[in-house]
Amino acid sequence: MSVAAAIGVDAGSTTCKAVAVDAAGRVLARRVEPASPRVEEQAERMVAELRAEVGPAAALGATGYGRKRIRAGLALTEITCHARGAFECMRRPGVLVDVGGQDTKVIRIGSAGEVVDFAMNDKCAAGTGRFLEVILGRLQVPLGAVAEHVRSATRAVPVSSTCTVFAESEVISLVSSGEPLEGIVKGLHQALASRVAALARSAGPGTDVFMSGGVALNLAMVEALSQALARPITVVPEPQLVGALGAALSVMGASRGARPRAV
Amino acid sequence: MILRRAQYEAAGRVAAPFLATLEAWQRRLRPRRAPRETPFGPPLESTRKLKELMTAHYYQGRYADGAVPVAWVTSGFPVEILRPLGFHGVYPENHAALCGVRRIVPELSDAAEGDGYSRDLCSYARTDLGCVATGKTPVGRLPRPDLLACCTNICQTVLYWYRALAAHFGVPLVLVDTPYVYGEAKPHHVSYVRAQLEELVAVAEEISGRRMDPDALAEVTRKAKEGSELWGECLATATNRPAPWTGFDGFFHIAPIVTLRGTDACNAYYRQLRDELRDRVSRGIGGLRDERHRLLWDNLPIWFAVREVSTLLASRGFNFVCTSYTNAWAEAGSRVDPADPLGSAGVAYTHVILNQDLRHRQETLARLARDYHVDGAVLHSDRSCKPYSIGQVDLKERLAADLGVRVLLLEADHNDPRAWASEQGDNRITAFMESFA
Amino acid sequence: MRRDEYIREQRERYGRKAVAVLPVHHPKELLTALDVLAVEVWGPPGAPRGDDAGRIQSYVCPVVRNALAFLASGGADAAEGVLFPHTCDSVQQLATLAADFGGWRKAAFAFQHPKGPPRPSSRAFLDAELRSLVRELEAFSGHALDPARLDAAVRLHDEIDRLRASLLDAGPRLALSDVELYALLRRGEWLWPEEHAAELRDAQRAIQGEGARAGVPVLVTGYVPEPMAFFDVLARAGAFVAGDDYAAVGRRVVRERGSATGWQRVVERYWTAPPCPTRSADQAARMRHLEGLLESSGARGVIVHGVKFCEPELFDVPAIRATFAARGVPVLQLESELERELSAQAVTRVEAFVEMLSAGRAA
Repeated sequence: MSVAAAIGVDAGSTTCKAVAVDAAGRVLARRVEPASPRVEEQAERMVAELRAEVGPAAALGATGYGRKRIRAGLALTEITCHARGAFECMRRPGVLVDVGGQDTKVIRIGSAGEVVDFAMNDKCAAGTGRFLEVILGRLQVPLGAVAEHVRSATRAVPVSSTCTVFAESEVISLVSSGEPLEGIVKGLHQALASRVAALARSAGPGTDVFMSGGVALNLAMVEALSQALARPITVVPEPQLVGALGAALSVMGASRGARPRAV
Repeated sequence: MILRRAQYEAAGRVAAPFLATLEAWQRRLRPRRAPRETPFGPPLESTRKLKELMTAHYYQGRYADGAVPVAWVTSGFPVEILRPLGFHGVYPENHAALCGVRRIVPELSDAAEGDGYSRDLCSYARTDLGCVATGKTPVGRLPRPDLLACCTNICQTVLYWYRALAAHFGVPLVLVDTPYVYGEAKPHHVSYVRAQLEELVAVAEEISGRRMDPDALAEVTRKAKEGSELWGECLATATNRPAPWTGFDGFFHIAPIVTLRGTDACNAYYRQLRDELRDRVSRGIGGLRDERHRLLWDNLPIWFAVREVSTLLASRGFNFVCTSYTNAWAEAGSRVDPADPLGSAGVAYTHVILNQDLRHRQETLARLARDYHVDGAVLHSDRSCKPYSIGQVDLKERLAADLGVRVLLLEADHNDPRAWASEQGDNRITAFMESFA
Repeated sequence: MRRDEYIREQRERYGRKAVAVLPVHHPKELLTALDVLAVEVWGPPGAPRGDDAGRIQSYVCPVVRNALAFLASGGADAAEGVLFPHTCDSVQQLATLAADFGGWRKAAFAFQHPKGPPRPSSRAFLDAELRSLVRELEAFSGHALDPARLDAAVRLHDEIDRLRASLLDAGPRLALSDVELYALLRRGEWLWPEEHAAELRDAQRAIQGEGARAGVPVLVTGYVPEPMAFFDVLARAGAFVAGDDYAAVGRRVVRERGSATGWQRVVERYWTAPPCPTRSADQAARMRHLEGLLESSGARGVIVHGVKFCEPELFDVPAIRATFAARGVPVLQLESELERELSAQAVTRVEAFVEMLSAGRAA
């Protein structure tokens, strides 16, 4: 069995993720939990669990909103870490769309895995995973059933509001006026996809588009975004862990005194 | 050039009326739907003529560039000065409203937002910049401008917007910068506007390659003044009970006075409309079948929801009998003097409602409320229009206290449906109507 | 010292009246020559407070919303007048809202500066508008405009601008943090100009050799540096401001040395100030100015630090993006609502941006 070389923690606003990697960057162990308000304690416990599983790793890297509250060897923003993690998995430049719980990032990754440019949604939750979560919750559609709903929809019922609060009432009135639930759920995905696509429009033609973040696990959303951008989208393996992976790789590079790997 | 000119003339004189007639025939040939229960009175006959007029204007516009000089013009610009020089005027605000009614603003705005324009900017500007970026328009094609003509009497926004257009098209931008009127306009403010109009004449002469004919300018000015007065006469018919049309009809019939001001076609149209409205008054025909309450509307229309809001209100007998928006184009004429076209234009265009302080606005609203015998008012708090909206919270309380009428502050946007919550909006309007019971 | 205490002290000690001034451009030389203290009102930061906070809709720029709440709650009562420049639709409406519908009962002045590039009409108008403002301020202050005092005031403000420019241009040679630098520069928003000039002269000692300041140089353009915590975040991330185009700061520093004196220099200073969208400067001229700042400062990235709903600034963002994209210079857009602190998301953006610029240097 490989020896753990580094641990990365991504303390996000919705979930906290941790991975242990070996010297070659392979993920040996992982943890994903809903975020606790006590980031320090949660991160410390998750790291201890990983160390118990794979042995004492040398270095700890942190990212995500809670990164500064974690005692780590290196703290970097999730933009840099997502680019690093995604590049490790995909091994080619491209545009990474990361739809997280509270914010959405579009990161242009260069041919050496570096961040060339990035954009983020504005303050409101309009273009984030939270938008879907709130409204699907209101419709009592469990997340596991979303893809099935969207697949079975014969047509999308347009949802014009992208504001979470407005969309909530719009959707309720669509339900009460007899529109099919499946079509509404599909319409919601299209509304979110158009909002995210607006951020990603800078991606030139021919550029590969990758997707990460918890929302990438929702295949209906990947499909909707792919349609909105009119090009295929590759989901990064284990999309939720990309930030934590990038944090682990970055701290490993830093402790060796090396810059992030160049190709 | 000559061929292009002939095409332009033919488009205006023959093709467009033919198209309009064709459309009217097609409408007649379509199977008639069973008449629905409607709260509205019989439709205005003039509406067909309005469609013809505006269709012809936009259709002719397709062939304008290369044939005649083309100016893109803000709604408050002294267009009278451009007409004698043969300019074809395009009104991006009117065109944007058309896009709003057709509900294509989200995709156009998306394109503008993709170019970096914030969603917090005016939705007219986003619509227009989206049209320019994508070439999409419901009117087939907009002619490319030779001149951008911008007057800041309605807002400063138009200047930022037209600067962007000037950079895009690489054509001259003429500015008429109107100092805001706090209390009284100062003499040097009025002379500044006049001086800019003289500079405008020089630029427009150069672009058109023609010299300004003072007699033609006086004649266009006379027509513009008459048109404004005729429009005022149309609006004034609604002081009667029942009002012969709805305020929302007014939002659509305003198009000629905005875009064709100073032309014979504009005035002929309003004579016809006025006569029809007066005839309806004499016969007791209302815009609503059963007019029970009369309302005042302040600010721009909610273009994408005009039908929705007016139907909701009409269903309970509420009619907008006057709006500060449509009234603005009736007031402009009073200060215009054909004997002094530039001087009087300087005064008239400085004193439009949006360029005067809030006391003036309050007085205007109060006067409209009294003249039109309203018992309620809706102030559209328009996310996209700061100059029209700042002050409405105070105006609401003052109107309610001074006039003893019920006032609703309704938050929406004049052109972007994504900023309008239909459910909440309908709910608020319904609650407002219930308060009259 | 609190500003209201300072205003009272100035009145008691020198008999000077104070005028609260709304953003952005105003002929401060004339106020100085008439012995009137200008105290600028940029918000102030924080959520609008008091009964009048709700009188302006939440979709309006926070500078104007906060200013109304501030004026109406008596925040500027130490001043005896208020001056509203013709900056934008929102400041223009604030002027009538506060003066006509409540919020400000004392003297109110407007400075309706012309828009657009200079034309014969707007040159003549500016002159007439300034003279009209002088007549009103003469009546307010009880002093007549004295040519010798005007000349001295113009020279003082020219010197202030020269001193400010040398600090802003010092870049890595400046032994001050951005927080210290901007605290000093922004004291000019309310100090009597003689005192401000003395502080600026004193601060020139902080200009030392290369390497006095380390980090990634960035160019900042925007409205007003609020919250000031932005500079702390920038410094911790490893960057500093090498080029400044804030409306509140660099865009009011007149760098061109004209030959005119007295009244002619007041007018000349207006027309030669850096291009600003609130005066509807030509967009191409503004882009050339920003490119010049980028080159002279050696900045490696551009931060557009705007205020939410600020139309004049927001309309130029696409041009700024396109201009710097063409040069391969990254641009970060940061939007403030005059919060007291930067949001966690904004901090992340700044840090990620500096991480990106740093990696670019290593490569």
